[in-house]
Amino acid sequence: MKTLLRLAALLAWLIPAAYAAETGYTLKATEVRDNPFLDANTIATLPEKTVVEIVTRQGAWMKVKTADAKQQGWIRMLSVRLGSPDQKPQSGGSLLSALGIGSRPKPSTNSTVTTGVRGFSEEDLANAKPNAAEVEKMKGFTATPEEATRLAESGKLAATPVAYFDENGKPLKENK
Amino acid sequence: MSALRLTGAALVMAAAVLGGCKSGGGFDLKNVDIGNVVKSVGNLREVKEPEEIQIGQGMTETLLGARPLYDDAELQHYVNDVGLWVALQSDRPNLPWHFGVNDSDHINAFATPGGFIIVTKGMMRQLRNEAELAGVLGHEIAHVNQKHHLKALRKSAFASLLGEGVAGATNNKQAELVKSLAGPTKELYARGLDKSDEFEADRMGVVFAARAGYDPYGLPAVLTTLASADPKDNYLVLLYKTHPLPQARLDKLAPGLTTLDSIKGPQDATRFQQHTKSLRVANK
Repeated sequence: MKTLLRLAALLAWLIPAAYAAETGYTLKATEVRDNPFLDANTIATLPEKTVVEIVTRQGAWMKVKTADAKQQGWIRMLSVRLGSPDQKPQSGGSLLSALGIGSRPKPSTNSTVTTGVRGFSEEDLANAKPNAAEVEKMKGFTATPEEATRLAESGKLAATPVAYFDENGKPLKENK
Repeated sequence: MSALRLTGAALVMAAAVLGGCKSGGGFDLKNVDIGNVVKSVGNLREVKEPEEIQIGQGMTETLLGARPLYDDAELQHYVNDVGLWVALQSDRPNLPWHFGVNDSDHINAFATPGGFIIVTKGMMRQLRNEAELAGVLGHEIAHVNQKHHLKALRKSAFASLLGEGVAGATNNKQAELVKSLAGPTKELYARGLDKSDEFEADRMGVVFAARAGYDPYGLPAVLTTLASADPKDNYLVLLYKTHPLPQARLDKLAPGLTTLDSIKGPQDATRFQQHTKSLRVANK
């Protein structure tokens, strides 16, 4: 029992991020549907800048509920901006934590790079000395096609033919 | 018609010059100004795949020189499994694809020619699930698929080195190649590619992720995360300097994305969270 509890605690610690609530707001007036399809029934229209809690995500859709919990349904991901309309933009280091995801420690975000921050800034790049040993190390982690396929199978990923599309969204010549 | 014939003749001449360089191996620099030749025909010369890989490896040495790999072998293997699975959906499945997470808190990802791809630890921390990782990797794989960096190098001052450097490399002079590549690499990755290349990589990246069986909205989800960030943030400054703003990328991607709406792939969040747990333990 004790072991089980410990396991449960460990699991709760391992995967809290996936279940933390995110909030966002509508970028424009947005229709709420009862299902995540374009031809699903419209059950409400949210005005621009309506604050919503994101319950779950599926493809192009987010299941959301309004702050007063009066409305719940599906809206397009691209109609939503994360955060709140009157909040300052988030700093990258703590971005997801601020949005309710992840739990990384909040680093300092002064305009000068703080010591301890492991950067990949323009300066870091400018001062870089080629490191052949790291490339060899990187090569040591290379996957085989069999390993990649095994990952796909265990993740229920099925290879699907999908055509490229152009900038207007028009499908290009048939894919392989 | 005569203009056409003239162009044809120029091509034949260029091919003859280049062909001569190749078979000759060490051509006589006293007689031929090879720098000028390569510069003038830089856009015509086809860089062969083994040369492309050597160039990419040399550039990767510089990128990993800026920040080494993140110390988590299991995570590195996982990212390689996901990355290769997505890369197998590209037009270049047989390249030697290598993926790595570097030890940087900045939010970014890079590709070099021939199939080397680096994602920062900071970027990994922004991702919610494997579909989002597949989207980011798909975007980088598209850069390799389309040889965007190689084309950018050809347009830069590096074009004049292309002949010498690569010719040297075939004689086991990789170190010299790396040295000659370091400057152009730093310049290119600080400046970024053409915006049109970035938009193309977004369009292709979502297609690769979708072909791999993932929820195709992984990359758009990452872009919506980034869109809520402060563009002046330290962790994002290089990404924003070298890429169009996330909202512009989402707007450009939107028309084609809707064509992928019927694809219902998994996000594989649980697996992603398990493999990336060290990223959420203190500031390792």
